[in-house]
Amino acid sequence: MAELEVRNLTKRYGRTLAVDDLSFAVEAGRVTGFLGPNGAGKTTTMRALLGLLRPSAGEALVEGRRPAELEDPLRTIGAALEATAFHPGRSGRNHLRTLAAAAGIPGSRVEEVLDQVELSGAARRRVKGYSLGMRQRLALAAALLGDPRILILDEPANGLDPQGMRWLRDLLREQAAVGRTVLVSSHVLSEVAQIADELVVIRAGRLVSQSSLAEFTSGGDGRMRVRAADLDRLGAGLAEAGARVERDGEGALLVGGLGGEQIGEAALRLGIALHELAPLRSSLEERFLEVTGPEEGP
Amino acid sequence: MNLLRSEWLKLWTVRTTWTMVGIGLLGEALFAGLYVGLASLAEIGDVEEVETGVGLILVLVLVLGVLSVTTEFRHGTASSTFLVSPGRWPALLAKLGAVLLAGLLIGLAFVAVNAGLALTLFDARGGRLPSTGEIVSVYAGVVVSLALIGAFGLGIGAIVRNQVGAIIAAIAFFFILSPLPELLPGSIGEYFPSQAIGSLHGRVEGDGSLSQLGGGLVLAAWATALCAIGTLLICRRDVDE
Repeated sequence: MAELEVRNLTKRYGRTLAVDDLSFAVEAGRVTGFLGPNGAGKTTTMRALLGLLRPSAGEALVEGRRPAELEDPLRTIGAALEATAFHPGRSGRNHLRTLAAAAGIPGSRVEEVLDQVELSGAARRRVKGYSLGMRQRLALAAALLGDPRILILDEPANGLDPQGMRWLRDLLREQAAVGRTVLVSSHVLSEVAQIADELVVIRAGRLVSQSSLAEFTSGGDGRMRVRAADLDRLGAGLAEAGARVERDGEGALLVGGLGGEQIGEAALRLGIALHELAPLRSSLEERFLEVTGPEEGP
Repeated sequence: MNLLRSEWLKLWTVRTTWTMVGIGLLGEALFAGLYVGLASLAEIGDVEEVETGVGLILVLVLVLGVLSVTTEFRHGTASSTFLVSPGRWPALLAKLGAVLLAGLLIGLAFVAVNAGLALTLFDARGGRLPSTGEIVSVYAGVVVSLALIGAFGLGIGAIVRNQVGAIIAAIAFFFILSPLPELLPGSIGEYFPSQAIGSLHGRVEGDGSLSQLGGGLVLAAWATALCAIGTLLICRRDVDE
């Protein structure tokens, strides 16, 4: 059983479909990145998983149950939805104290999480005076308060400096390493690339792909990138040998259907010097744009 | 119990609450001092000295009740509140408990200021104080009305959710809509909140057929109905903030 599961989830706001028949599962023990352009339905999906909104169709399940049926919610699932979701006039510590009190969590745990997110020094100050990064840390502290088995974090890297990013990554990795489930949304790819092991990509409320980060980036469909002294002649020769050949516009050939060895040998027979021969790997950014595509869609 | 503690903390860990209580009590001290101290004794008829200035604190506690719900939606803390209490209604019940309790305590503080200033001044100026029994019954009415009006505000806050809208709705309902039926013949007006508070304070107006207890029950019925509708709506609606 997956820790988090979304089954045919659909959420309609008036005539807009925010989430459209979305299904995916999130497993424990790794960090799952939830990726999609702004407005793709990430937050809506997360809110459904937290029982904050009612699906128009389908369901969102936490440990196989509807979120509203969880017996000890704060110890099961911790969430940081928005870095701005605090009363500006309340201090960081008091914000956590109200949550701890509600869940019957002792006050000492509040100090622990404040320490963990390195916010103890500012805990007495009112949230009004916090920077975005500090708010992110406070939101994270709230998520960690119940020491939950599942973490759901919406854009947690927003507003973090590079040090903060590393700290966040280490923290999430730690959580995953001890068998926790971590779902982290982002619309910024480089962030996810640093944090996630697994990727769920959605666009316009629909699932685009679910795979490991490695699979996602190596989505070069086995093609090779070739640069050589005489590209035209090599291209023609390779095409004759049965390859699918394309120019990539950067002075290289993209060759499908032939392996590196065959390409090398063909070049030797043709007497053309090879300058580069490498499997085609797309960067996460390229893959993301490829997968989420232009706005008008397929 | 945990939820009640949480809501109690929420109420008192923001300055707004303290400021509003401060204004209410300071206002009462001013009213008591100026009105009871300066007006002619004949003007201060009936039991007015015992509840002088109560209007201000009533409005403040009404708004406090509204805020107990609307700030959560305004600042997005509703999400974390309902994560801890996924059924949602237990959290609202806890809010109600906190608001009722706060209303009672604020009422007692009001009574203390009133007794210390208004009654003492009135007495010192040679005014004829009502009997102890009368004073106690008015004070009891004041305390109960402050608790109930907080609950009334909470109900409206839960129904409207938008902070500014809810405050306007609560005040408009209380001071404009609710007194209107008083203009009608008969005693319909007594069954609306503003006049019910009058009855609850032992102030007899118009036909005056409603007793103190009756006024209290009418106000409690309104508060209960609004809170019930508000809770139902909160449980049904999505939490998008």
